[in-house]
Amino acid sequence: MQLYVNGQMVEVNSDPDTPLLWVIRDELGMTGTKFGCGLAQCGACSVMLDGKIVRSCVTPLSSVGDAQVTTIEAIEADPVGQRVVEKWIAHQVPQCGYCQSGQVMAATALLKENAKPSRDEIAAAMVNLCRCGTYNVINDAMLDLAGLGANKGETL
Amino acid sequence: MNDHDPTPACDLAGDSPQNLSRRRFLQTSAGVATGALVIGMGIPLQPARAAGAAQMAPGTNVPAFLEIRPDNRVRFLSPFNEGGQGIFTGMAQIVGEELDADPESFIVENAPAGHDYLVVFGKMRITGGSFSTRSSYTTMRKLGALARNMLLQAAATRMNAPIGELTTEPGHVIHKSTGQKIAYGDLAKDALDLPVPDPKSVTLKDPKDFRWIRQPLKRLDVPEKSTGKAIYAMDCKVEGMLHAAVQHAPRLGLKPGVVRNLDEVKAMKGVHSVHKLDGAVAVVAERFWVAKLGADALQVDWQEPSAAEKAKIRYMPADFSTEAFTRQLMETKGDGKEAETHGDLKSAFASAGKTVSATYHSQYVHHAQLEPASTLARFNADGTLDIWLPNQAPEQFQAQIAKTAGLKLEQVNIHSPILGGFFGRHFLYPGANPYPQAVALSKATGRPVKVIWTREQEFLRDPLRPMAAVRFRGALDASGMPVAIEAISACEGPAESLNGHNPNKVDSNAVEGLTGKAYAIPNRRIAQVYVKNPTSLAYWRSVGHSMNDFLYEGFLDEMADAGGKDPYALRLKLLEGNDRLTTLLKAVGELSGGWKRGPFTAPDGSRRARGVAMASPFGSEAAAIAEVSLNAAGKVVVHDVWEAIDPGSIVNPGIIKLQAMSAATLGVSQVLMEQVVYKNGEPEARNYDLYPILPPDRAPRIHVKVVESGAQMGGIGEPPLPAVPAAIANAVSTLTGKRVRSMPLDKLSLAT
Amino acid sequence: MKKILFTLIAIVLVVAAGLSWYVTRKPASPFDAVAAVATPSPDLIAKGKYIARAADCVACHSVPGGKPFAGGLKMGTPLGAIYTTNITPDPKTGIGKYTLADFDRAVRHGVAANGHRLYPAMPYPSYSKMSDADVRALYAYFTHEVAPAAVADKPSEIPSPWNIRWPIALWNLVFAPDTPYQPVKTQDAEWNRGAYLVQGPGHCGSCHTPRGAAFNEKAMDQGGKLYLSGALLDGWYAPSLRNDPNTGIGRWREADIYAFLKNGRNGHGVVFGSMLDAYNNSTQFLTDADLHAIAHYLKSLPGDPARDGKPWAYSATAVADLAPAKRSSVPGAQTFAAKCSFCHQPDGKGQSPWIPALAGSTSSLVPDAASQINIVLNGSGRVMANGMPDSYRMPPYRAQLSDKQVAQVLSFVRSAWGNRGGPVTAKAVADLRKKTDPASPQVIVLQMR
Ligand code: FES
Ligand code: FES
Repeated sequence: MQLYVNGQMVEVNSDPDTPLLWVIRDELGMTGTKFGCGLAQCGACSVMLDGKIVRSCVTPLSSVGDAQVTTIEAIEADPVGQRVVEKWIAHQVPQCGYCQSGQVMAATALLKENAKPSRDEIAAAMVNLCRCGTYNVINDAMLDLAGLGANKGETL
Repeated sequence: MNDHDPTPACDLAGDSPQNLSRRRFLQTSAGVATGALVIGMGIPLQPARAAGAAQMAPGTNVPAFLEIRPDNRVRFLSPFNEGGQGIFTGMAQIVGEELDADPESFIVENAPAGHDYLVVFGKMRITGGSFSTRSSYTTMRKLGALARNMLLQAAATRMNAPIGELTTEPGHVIHKSTGQKIAYGDLAKDALDLPVPDPKSVTLKDPKDFRWIRQPLKRLDVPEKSTGKAIYAMDCKVEGMLHAAVQHAPRLGLKPGVVRNLDEVKAMKGVHSVHKLDGAVAVVAERFWVAKLGADALQVDWQEPSAAEKAKIRYMPADFSTEAFTRQLMETKGDGKEAETHGDLKSAFASAGKTVSATYHSQYVHHAQLEPASTLARFNADGTLDIWLPNQAPEQFQAQIAKTAGLKLEQVNIHSPILGGFFGRHFLYPGANPYPQAVALSKATGRPVKVIWTREQEFLRDPLRPMAAVRFRGALDASGMPVAIEAISACEGPAESLNGHNPNKVDSNAVEGLTGKAYAIPNRRIAQVYVKNPTSLAYWRSVGHSMNDFLYEGFLDEMADAGGKDPYALRLKLLEGNDRLTTLLKAVGELSGGWKRGPFTAPDGSRRARGVAMASPFGSEAAAIAEVSLNAAGKVVVHDVWEAIDPGSIVNPGIIKLQAMSAATLGVSQVLMEQVVYKNGEPEARNYDLYPILPPDRAPRIHVKVVESGAQMGGIGEPPLPAVPAAIANAVSTLTGKRVRSMPLDKLSLAT
Repeated sequence: MKKILFTLIAIVLVVAAGLSWYVTRKPASPFDAVAAVATPSPDLIAKGKYIARAADCVACHSVPGGKPFAGGLKMGTPLGAIYTTNITPDPKTGIGKYTLADFDRAVRHGVAANGHRLYPAMPYPSYSKMSDADVRALYAYFTHEVAPAAVADKPSEIPSPWNIRWPIALWNLVFAPDTPYQPVKTQDAEWNRGAYLVQGPGHCGSCHTPRGAAFNEKAMDQGGKLYLSGALLDGWYAPSLRNDPNTGIGRWREADIYAFLKNGRNGHGVVFGSMLDAYNNSTQFLTDADLHAIAHYLKSLPGDPARDGKPWAYSATAVADLAPAKRSSVPGAQTFAAKCSFCHQPDGKGQSPWIPALAGSTSSLVPDAASQINIVLNGSGRVMANGMPDSYRMPPYRAQLSDKQVAQVLSFVRSAWGNRGGPVTAKAVADLRKKTDPASPQVIVLQMR
């Protein structure tokens, strides 16, 4: 089966019901996309399909078709992704970092859809779990990206 | 990009099977031409050698820690693992300060196993107990100073100048009078040949001259964690590797019997082999997903162990339920063994104006770190074993793995990738780590094998934060001031669960947070009644404090109410004369805009209340205030948490603030929603579906103030947690008029 | 429930009037004077095993981890829980002492060897349509291949006087047919085979046919318009198996029905709820010919436009409601986006055939929302197709969503993409939350030996 990943066409031979996550990690060897729950609960495995956020652990390979898959490996090739990464660094978002590939993907997908999301939209779109509790800082980074300034929480 | 195994990522981080010497390999991997100049390679100093007569004190063997590259970048092997707490950056700041090298020029990795790295109190090595910085602060500063001294010596020779005339500026040695300036990278090779000076010969900087310590420097690991480049154990791969998934016995202690569909699973496309292991059956395959489906499919007849076997292990009986066990703990009688006593409890109660009593309890909780456990094992042609696994104590794992694999210590190379969260998950817990499986499977297949535990298998074997029921009673004098408190905890502590229960001792981990409270209540008695758990137990972020401060501070509020006192004012009163804690409590009061308890009506019309609590964990001090309301469904909404934290003295205020927010958030998660429920000997939840952890839409705003009292340095990774659940529960008690005596709040019916 | 109680009381009174001779007599069996073969042929045993699969005996007479057919499954009834019985050939606790005629009386007439009446939770009203040959084979299988297991039956929790069993004989008189299936001459052999399997061993009507006030199935075959027209049982709404395009399988082709029963999934849906057990333990083991026959028969049952309404048509309206900017203002939309859309997709079309569509799905169109509430609260068990577990499972959300949130998200789903199942109330969610437990995330295979 052919797949378009990060702008390249690749040939894969996993079974059609294999979750895209494991195709990316095992067959394509790109480990930036993380496995946290395998059940659409955490968002660590988030990637973009044609710029829309999906959870790759519940995306069967057969659903991908000829959509463009974008993983965290290519995030800086995307101008929006690059801005997100910059702000993630500026706000020092990651702690253990394990959820952050997914957080960055979710942020990028939102901003691609709407460059100036409101607070509500940010809350609506940023639903990935973070066990390290970086939620306040993620929110700060998002408000900054949306041009809404910092919230009332603590920032650095 | 297709079938072949892509870049063996973990070989880049560790050593290669192709027998490049480690030194050459590092030079190549760093993209450095031959003749690279290095101080030390951070090679796993083989313990056989290190154990010789000329053994150096841990933390002094400069070459075991530092490599300075020609481009002036400093590679530092950290004795502590990075799991999000910022320790790699903290280490770079501390060492860089005395070395006089910009922490930003550091590349930090976790050190291999070895004597040189046993820097915790000079004799052990764990990343835990919020020990890392405070236990090694001086040692690591000395290490930097020693390295600087070696560079100065090398420069003195090179510049032909007296060492006393030389100074440094970041990354360079300077001879002011001649204007000579040599980069560290150029001096590294010469410096390498020099013996490490006597640690006593170096003087440390005056803190007022600190350039980097105390600065909110940016974390070194943030860029790669923001771009998916960070490599966790889960991501490790080596040439020729197979994947394995397991099906664990549904209850601890059961053994695999017949696998009914063994042939069918073996015949699945892509399956390599099926193996019976201790308490598990594994499916090995070329790809993980196939292994996972195979492991799910296995129809195993699980066998009860014999009575003799049961006696030797923690066996989970088929009728165990947390509900019944909670009741059992609540009904446990007895005075227990004393952990802390002061004054005369008996006469205090005899002459009390009023007494209060209540039984509180806590719950089992999961670590639920986002990275499930995994281990990659590879036996090499020379009989050595390379093993990549998340761990908080490499030497302990090395010893255990050597034993398991029948190898000598020096034949086991432990690689400790950064941790995708840990919170106490990655210690040596029996039955809770995949390494025995990876070793057995790698041995059986003759190929490297990576075992990944799915979330379901992880939750089935995650050792739990213990639960406790605490019987409190308190005595008040005629004016309503507490004069006596007794707390008897029915609990098994994590330490005694791991190391064996000593009937003559109290597990301090079981009672910390009931003990060590700073309030001047003159008569007190804290005791433990040991009740063995069938579950495996573990350390969990802030250990005993994670529950005990919740239990104690709740009861303290009950005593305040019984005596007609405001809980904030009462705490201030009980801390009279304790400047450090008075300052701290006032700081959090101010941070919150001035103490008000409520209930009050917020501008949005909701009824709200605030609660306060304090904790003294791991050498640090914390005070928190929380504001809550109830939503339409009767569930608690936490709006704000204000926390003042005093770790004595600090290295990086930015990291401290973020750690405090992180720990506080975990505290919110625990008190609102976390609880491991067992029914019929099995945990009800196997994933985040039935064990929800705090989602973003329930996370409060968290406001942190770091107060530096200048006291002895305490920990920071855990201390901000314990006060938070208590502050929230106290706020909820005030709001609802119903006393909260257990967690999680989501399971209580609070609607008024 | 009240209605049921009154009916039962009425039955008791009627009986008191003096029909006790009837209710304690053992019905006759064609096997009464017939001795079973002492050593049945392997073929006969194999045939019996196949019938046991078709009749799904194991699903009710085994519990996970228990001995095959040793009983013990708890079944809720409005009067109290009952437990299924040990049907292994153990002489003390099972059916070891049953003659072929005794066995027949139990299976087809609901009368145990000692004369007491079985509760009609045992689908003997359907099994009564089984042929003599199949009963004989089934007996051979149970007595010669199933291993005896000494497991005592658990007493029922139905309190006195409701636990008196003889009134059931009267119930049987009224509601339970007692003649084996008679082929319909005007239909072909495949249709008749399908009808036999559906009405007889398959006992599809037990779940899919609505019940009357006395718990009776309102029709036992295609002669009744309500036969297999959908019913609520045990917290699941079993949809119509008739040609109703919305609430039934009107949009399915025969091949879709076949695929569903064979693979547990097709382009329209995936088995869940009680059908998951029926699939995991029964339908997938039937021969292709039998599955085609079932499909063929079901497709012959006409739909009822008066009940079913205008055929569903897809509409994309809900998609816009799921945009981040809109979500928070549409009740249920945010929950759908955060919890459901990653699998079922913002367009509601799912990821066929692995993850079912919600757009146009029967459960989104039937007025009774029990199945959807149940699966949102409790998730689904694992589909085990041909020895392979499914790659995706529906997680339970009871620990994450309040009654109101479940009600809102389902109301959203049931009105999105052209769906018109109607709103769900928080109370309905609360009721089911109390009565149900989450499904196991593990593969459960009930062993037959
Ligand atoms: S791994 Fe996909 S959502 Fe958690
Ligand atoms: S940074 Fe650790 S889970 Fe989010």
